[in-house]
Amino acid sequence: MDKAGDAGTKAGAQRIARFLQEKGRMPSYSEIALACGFKSKNSAFKLARKLEDLGLLARDAKGRLIPKAIKGENQLKAGALRMLGTVEAGFPSPAEEELSDVLSLDEMLITNRQATFMLKVSGDSMCGAGILPGDMVLVEKGRQPANGDIVVAEVDGQWTMKGFKKEKGSKDVWLLPANPKFKPIKPKSELRIAGVVIAVIRKYK
Amino acid sequence: MEQPILIRSWPRAIVHLDADAFFASCEQAVKPWLRGKPVITGRERGIVAAASYEAKARGVERGMRLFEAKKVCPDAVFLPSDYETYSLISLRMFDILRRFSPDVEEYSVDEAFVDLTGLRRSFHGPYSQIASRMQEDIGRELDISVSVGVSVSKVLAKIGSKYNKPHGLTLIPGGEIHLYLKDLPIEKVWGIGANTSALLRKLGVRTALDFARRDERFVRKYLSKPFREIWEELNGRSVYPVSTAAKKDYQSISKTRTFTPPSGQRDFVFAQLSKNLENACIKARRYGLAACGLIVYLRGQDFSGHGVEMRLSSPSAFPAQLFGPLNEGFNALFTQDTLYRSTGVVLTGLVPGTGTQYTLFDDVPRIEKMARLYKAVDNLSQRFGKHTVQHAASLPAKLYARHLGERGDLPARASKDIKGESGRQRLGLPMLDVDV
Repeated sequence: MDKAGDAGTKAGAQRIARFLQEKGRMPSYSEIALACGFKSKNSAFKLARKLEDLGLLARDAKGRLIPKAIKGENQLKAGALRMLGTVEAGFPSPAEEELSDVLSLDEMLITNRQATFMLKVSGDSMCGAGILPGDMVLVEKGRQPANGDIVVAEVDGQWTMKGFKKEKGSKDVWLLPANPKFKPIKPKSELRIAGVVIAVIRKYK
Repeated sequence: MEQPILIRSWPRAIVHLDADAFFASCEQAVKPWLRGKPVITGRERGIVAAASYEAKARGVERGMRLFEAKKVCPDAVFLPSDYETYSLISLRMFDILRRFSPDVEEYSVDEAFVDLTGLRRSFHGPYSQIASRMQEDIGRELDISVSVGVSVSKVLAKIGSKYNKPHGLTLIPGGEIHLYLKDLPIEKVWGIGANTSALLRKLGVRTALDFARRDERFVRKYLSKPFREIWEELNGRSVYPVSTAAKKDYQSISKTRTFTPPSGQRDFVFAQLSKNLENACIKARRYGLAACGLIVYLRGQDFSGHGVEMRLSSPSAFPAQLFGPLNEGFNALFTQDTLYRSTGVVLTGLVPGTGTQYTLFDDVPRIEKMARLYKAVDNLSQRFGKHTVQHAASLPAKLYARHLGERGDLPARASKDIKGESGRQRLGLPMLDVDV
């Protein structure tokens, strides 16, 4: 059974919708039976149950019907079961419904705009972390690196991009590659962190 | 003990911030492996545009010819200017300053004034602390070292930032003004040029303090308004406001281009000039200005320069209208058998371009047609990048590289290709130039 139910259910729903549109209120079970040509109110009750399961109708504590998605014919034809806003005529503008708070890609990728620089990667020592030669990475300067961060740093006079690891209990820092071809680096004399990698950008087309 | 100039310490608090060797610092910021090394920018111009403090320590000075710089500092790194990166970093510097106060004046690419008056309470600390936090933030996030002066007026703040360079922080509260002016030669004061200082010296004024101590009668008798204002500012009475408005009113716009090797080819030299004219006009139109005068100059291989100034019959910012005078000026200057190394155009006497009065002899429909034409050209440039449409006279400048040989190397930023960027439209992020 599809979302709007079988043909009979659909026809019933349409009749209820028309009643609602003409009279401005929901029909009683006997009125549904009359409108749909049922012999008994029980059939009307069963139809209402089905529509309730589909989320088109609801019933209050006394068993009276409440229209949920039955509004007008248009919406039933379009198979729109979910109500969008409270606009009755036409579809609500997507701007009001979903776009109230949007981030641009820029804003999503960058936290501190003034401190963020871009870097084109040339080596493959971080390929295991998904950073390949030719990728662009965003590097934030002046940020304190945490364990597991990827940093751009100068180690004993050499520039490199590696994973940052500080050993517990000691002050020792390791720079870890993400490629078995490279060895972890332990700075001998000097370590200067230029920045922390906050995003990778790879544009294919 | 000398009498202080002001009793109150901080009737106002104005910061002047001046980046140290800005262009060279920018290069060191994006090429961190150049830190601590002598760096010189301006390779494409053949002169030192900026020298890092390491290079300055070896005797390199601004404006020096490159071969001279090479002689005194052979291990210096010579780089072509990368104005794109410098501008990006400059804007970031101003943005960082606006975290502290909304009143930031972008005075030049590497200088700013900030009004901090009244902000001690919100920062829970003295002005010195706010100023030093500005300095720290810019250092940490941009890797740019700046010198800062804090005082009660712009002129005094500027004296403060110069007092201790690089990376200095100098406070001049009202009660200490006289200590800083005592030994400052009068010509070192912002806004006092060679002529005024010569006049003042004849009147017995040698130091900034001598000047500040003179009474108003003296100042009124010998000097015009701009210098009376400087005198007020030196006395701790702030007259120049920190103006936050983006720079809009230019008095003149100049565009100069150097090319190598020097050329004696008529078409090529004129094309350079015509390109300058187009660029100057683009800028003028962007600010809604029109020029009443035009200066054209040519500089020979031996650095000798000649120029002519012309008045225009009516204000204009359209190259098509200015080509006549440009041609005239060029013909008056250009001599066969001379090799030229740079050309320049200055638009002078700028007036607001809209609502310009036409003279009786102007061909109004033609001018309006031209306005529409350039509007279209500007729209195209905005969509597809500058010089999408240009005058044919400028073509030789486009067809031949501006610099051949070593000097023609592009800055690193311009030669890195990034998918999605074009030659004219680029991401607004400075690129770190590190091999990792």
